[in-house]
This record gives sequence, structure tokens and C-alpha cells, in this order.
Amino acid sequence: MITIGKLAAHADVSTDTLRYYERERLLKPSGKSTGGYRLFDDEALRRVRFIKQAQQCGFSLGEIRALLLLRSRNSACCSDVRKLAIEKKLQIESKVRAMKAMSKTLDGLIAHCEDDAKPLDGCPILAAFDDANGATAANAR
Amino acid sequence: MKVELIYAPGCERCAAARAGLKAATEKTVPDVRWREVNVLEEIHYAVELGVLTLPALAIDGTLVFASLPAPQVLAEELARRLVQATTHGS
Repeated sequence: MITIGKLAAHADVSTDTLRYYERERLLKPSGKSTGGYRLFDDEALRRVRFIKQAQQCGFSLGEIRALLLLRSRNSACCSDVRKLAIEKKLQIESKVRAMKAMSKTLDGLIAHCEDDAKPLDGCPILAAFDDANGATAANAR
Repeated sequence: MKVELIYAPGCERCAAARAGLKAATEKTVPDVRWREVNVLEEIHYAVELGVLTLPALAIDGTLVFASLPAPQVLAEELARRLVQATTHGS
């Protein structure tokens, strides 16, 4: 059994992060020391490493809670976890697609702005954003 | 009309619902094109449709059900579209 400070050091996270995990019901101490300090076991260390790894794959804390629940449920099987992983991949691919579209739009705007000596009034990038605002306002009317 | 079931291989819920949805579709729209889309083989198409959760169902290239409907609900939606197509066509 180890204190929150030692758990933080072993898992390479801050104690604030661990307290946040506790508040989010992702982690709970398995006991208290005679001095009243919260103590954590090996399972807590395993859980923190699990959370970190899942976060690196793009899972939110809410989704990680669902994964941890699946892990502890006897009736769950590998395909349940696989489905969550595929859905996460769909979300990531969707964001990549949206970002590529943004990048392409910026390419067009940058290409329009070849003369960097122009005064700000003539900046085609700012003008394009203004035009978009005008179009949105016109559509709203 | 084209109806596509987007699924993850190994998904028991998709397999259980498949037969009922396919039967309801074929009964409502006799010349329907029913297609089952394995998301792992066609992930870019699924993203293009806007699929974020599985299983899902698209009609004529548009995501209509983000989660699988009951066969009756799907049949009603298809019947509504058939009427709409007939009205617009005439």
C-alpha cells in the first residue's frame, strides 16, 4: 500500500491529477494509514497506467470510465471494447477530415495573399472572413 | 433506393438486428439495393456518411439512423420516402 505521492511518482503523473481522477470516480483508495492518509494498492497503479494509455489513444475520461466498467464486468467481451475502439477511430477520422478541409481553405486564402506589402484594408484573408460574415448575416435574414 | 447497414465485424447486436431490418426493407421496397458495410474495410466511406457510432443505417447515401431502428420504424421511413419520391416524380 502506497501514499498518493508515491503512486503519483510511480505512475509519472501529478498528485493533482490523481485527486482529479478520484473526484471523477476513476480511482479510489483501498484504505487509510494510521495517520489518516489515503493509501492505494497495485490495482490503483494499474488503473492509472490504463487511464494514461487510453488518453493517449484519444479516449475522454468519461469513455475511459466505460472501458474500466467493461473490464470489470464478467458479461462483457472483447468485441464490446473493440466496438468502442472502432467508434473512437471514427471520431478521430472525422476530426482529421474536418481539419484537412480547414487546412485546404487556409491554402486558398494564403494563395490569395501574395502581396505582403498591401495595407491591412486590402488584406484578402480578412476580406474573405468579412465576406463570409456578410453571407452568413444575409442567409440569416 | 439504397439501404446500407454500417457495422463492426464481430458485433452481436448488428448480427441479431440484421435479418429483421433486411426483411422489413425488402418487403417495403421490392427493388431495394441492400448493402452491408464493414466499417473496417470502408472507414472513409463511413466517415463521409458521418457515422460516429455503430451500428448505423444510411438511406440513399445519407445517414438516417445513428443507431439501429426497429424494423417497423425503418419500414415506415422507407414507405415515407417512397411516397415522397412518387409525389416529386409525378
